[in-house]
Amino acid sequence: MAILLVDMDAFFASVEQAHHEHLRGRPVIVCGDPGRRGVVTAASYEARPFGVHAGMPVQEARRLCPHAEFVEGDPEKYVGQSLELLNLYLTFTPDVEPFSVDEAFVGFVNTDLEEAGRRAAAIQRAILERFALDASIGVGPNKLVAKMGAGVRKPRGLTVLDEAAFRDTFWPRDIQDLWGVGPRLAERMRSLGFKTVGDLARAPDPVLKGEFGIIGPQLREAAWGRDDTPLTPYHEGAEVKSMGHEVTLGEDSDEPVYLKGTLLRLADQVARRLRAEGYVGRTVVLKLRNHRFETCTRQKALAEHTCDHERIYATVRALFEASWKGGPVRLLGVSVASLEKREGAAQTELFERDDRRLRLTEAADRVRNKLGEASLVPLGSLTHRGGLRHVPFGAMSGRVLQKQKAREESPDG
Amino acid sequence: MFESLSDQVDVLTAYVDGRVEPLRFRWKGRVIRVRKVTGRWSRREGQTVLRYFAVEGQEGATYELCYDPRGSRWLLSRAWTSE
Repeated sequence: MAILLVDMDAFFASVEQAHHEHLRGRPVIVCGDPGRRGVVTAASYEARPFGVHAGMPVQEARRLCPHAEFVEGDPEKYVGQSLELLNLYLTFTPDVEPFSVDEAFVGFVNTDLEEAGRRAAAIQRAILERFALDASIGVGPNKLVAKMGAGVRKPRGLTVLDEAAFRDTFWPRDIQDLWGVGPRLAERMRSLGFKTVGDLARAPDPVLKGEFGIIGPQLREAAWGRDDTPLTPYHEGAEVKSMGHEVTLGEDSDEPVYLKGTLLRLADQVARRLRAEGYVGRTVVLKLRNHRFETCTRQKALAEHTCDHERIYATVRALFEASWKGGPVRLLGVSVASLEKREGAAQTELFERDDRRLRLTEAADRVRNKLGEASLVPLGSLTHRGGLRHVPFGAMSGRVLQKQKAREESPDG
Repeated sequence: MFESLSDQVDVLTAYVDGRVEPLRFRWKGRVIRVRKVTGRWSRREGQTVLRYFAVEGQEGATYELCYDPRGSRWLLSRAWTSE
């Protein structure tokens, strides 16, 4: 099988440029409410030479590129566009796996790389003609080569690499350019003398196993451009590992009631997503960033799996109280990991035994399904409604939206 | 800059190939002719699916229209204004 990684160029900013012609060719910065604080979600290629990049505070972006157009992002617009793109890829092959909102793996069975390259060019043209959007595509014999290939030339790049070409391209590059090697791992690798991808490819087995355990030899395989991760087609769905929400506060806050109200709203949204997608989770994670941009994450494993917002909130609140030093907070996040499908999980959870509360939660979910997320919010977060505009209401994954769409379009629907 | 709005507008539409095409709309006493629909997406509020259209007016400005099936009304949700 030949695999493509289709990576939309500066996706959110490009969607805005496609929808609003006067923005084309101009620096566009997508963010939260431009009148408030927050971070840059996406920057168009015209904004990047000014040093603007995703994750940067909007205030800094405004200083670097004051003439840019600051556009309030619309996540649901981008998810909708992403689903349209997946439908386009499905006209080429059934083997399509979404990788993120702006990336997807596309597979062609019994196809050599040369032919896959031609099909990649056809996909690139179709995206441009239908949506006025640009994509960079990597083509390779596996996901790893395709993913790394997509980053070789951007924007509008098309890079076809076999394993030998992969080695020629990436062996001289910094170790952190290897997919799966983050800054901390790269630092450890460098301290062992593995500065480039090629250094890692030639590293002795005992050293890698001794230093990195089982992932050491796996990373060396990756350095050779080898990867046997299967492509999971979209319609089969991929297992979710965690679900979470985070929010940059309108302004730094050291007000405990406000911060806990925010955590409650976040916990509620995470629990709602877990229930909507049929999951329960056992590990609750708090993310806390202070005004100096120092970020800490704390987690706690529960005795039982849950999808109950009160349990998630109680846990995350305890983590918050243990780790917050009382200073101004910039960002809060709540996520739940160690997920299992709800029907497969042990039915030992308090929530499951508490029939009255379960029925109440299900009734509340039905109200929200019918009237929208803002129709019911947990007591304790209500007074912060105005300040919590950017806590995403029921931001469901593309797969859930797709299922909802399929239900609507079915004859029984 | 973009102006976020929630102004109710009258919209003249056509059905083309089974899809709604906004043709012109009335806003602040002006009739704006739609030169091109540049994007479509939808947003869910409970059971309601709001249909959005990014459109380019004849005069070159761009707008985002929203059809809300609750009450069959159209809203102008965002407009580009040159300040």
